[in-house]
Amino acid sequence: MTNEPKSWLIGPISPAAGGTLYQQIVDRLKREISEGRLEPGAALPSFRHLAEDLLVSVITVKRAYEELEREGIIFRRQGLGTFVAEQGHDRSRETKLVAARDLLRAGFREAAEAGLKPAQILELAREILREKE
Amino acid sequence: MTNAIEIRGLVKKYPRFQLGPLDLTVPQGAIYGLIGPNGAGKTTAIDLIFGMGRNDAGQIRVLDLDHRADEVALKRRAAYVSPDLNFQVWGKVGKAIRFVRGFYPEWDEAYCAALMKAFHLSDTDKIVTLSFGAKTKLSLLLALSRRPEVLILDEPTTGLDAVSKQQVFGELLKAVEDGEHTVLISSHGLSDIERFADHIGMIKDGKLLLEGRTDKVVDRYRFVEFFSSNGTTFQNREGLAILRRTENRWHALLDQESDALNWLETRGAEQISLTRLTLEDLFVALVKEEEAA
Repeated sequence: MTNEPKSWLIGPISPAAGGTLYQQIVDRLKREISEGRLEPGAALPSFRHLAEDLLVSVITVKRAYEELEREGIIFRRQGLGTFVAEQGHDRSRETKLVAARDLLRAGFREAAEAGLKPAQILELAREILREKE
Repeated sequence: MTNAIEIRGLVKKYPRFQLGPLDLTVPQGAIYGLIGPNGAGKTTAIDLIFGMGRNDAGQIRVLDLDHRADEVALKRRAAYVSPDLNFQVWGKVGKAIRFVRGFYPEWDEAYCAALMKAFHLSDTDKIVTLSFGAKTKLSLLLALSRRPEVLILDEPTTGLDAVSKQQVFGELLKAVEDGEHTVLISSHGLSDIERFADHIGMIKDGKLLLEGRTDKVVDRYRFVEFFSSNGTTFQNREGLAILRRTENRWHALLDQESDALNWLETRGAEQISLTRLTLEDLFVALVKEEEAA
């Protein structure tokens, strides 16, 4: 018996994208969860199915699931499968915030090294936000 | 987890080459990538599993069967695809399939038909006129349709285009989906192996250089760049292989499980920076290191 969703379009993942393949899977699943496309209690595919879908080794998916489990975003029930945790949404957002903070810090450092003053850096940030809209 | 293949102390002597003593452990349910430079002994080892040639020492067990004493049972439950297999004597694809399937009660007709379609093969194709890649696909089809518990593939992707290659790996992932079927694959396509293989074993000059979970093996090593001041020199040591030196700038391969990084720091290496590497980078660095030594 399986209650797995039919289509698993979190891929494709590629060595050309940043980070290791397993990290890419972690990031994509976090995005699905934090943006609400995967809700608490939703079943994730077995790691063998997801491996087939993403064309990566089983070990790669297993490692991604283990990391998400450690962060409390998903949980495993022996014999039943893997599910999005009740607090998965919040946890995903938290870890995304941490990642965003790191990236902004790196970006601001680059800007400072390019000779920008704090006010100019903020102006740059506003400009980027406007681009997004 | 049990092991699908266990090779212990395997030795095969030739006048100018010796394989082993070799230990290999292939866990059940895994795709295992056997890698190594040309002439390392990959094909020799695989041939011995299937009783082609007699080993001079050591033991090979497949699904807990002895490769000689239980040869018939082993050949029924395990399949081998070699680039040397030649099905031309059957004339047409359909005839080859009808011949082979007669031997195997587990033959999966529906899967065979699906693979025919996926691989663009048809019953009436003359084998002699098939392209090299299509012949490879035919031997894969004949092996996969048997649903073997252990599938051993020697260089199965040579001559396949990128689309076919991805198809083949997709089928291999499907083959191991239940966690009970196992695939051992020897290949020079290291980026494929890194992506698809759960475990790898690397052999060189008939000996095992390293073995383990693919991600852990690759993650264990780093490229390291550092600078030396006041003429300090560095040489190879446990866990550190110098790859290149330009005046006071050094490049090396670092095994993070050794204390080599510590040693570099205490010897006064400066501006040490570590970079991740791919399986291919690791392979080249290890093979070159051996040659330089």
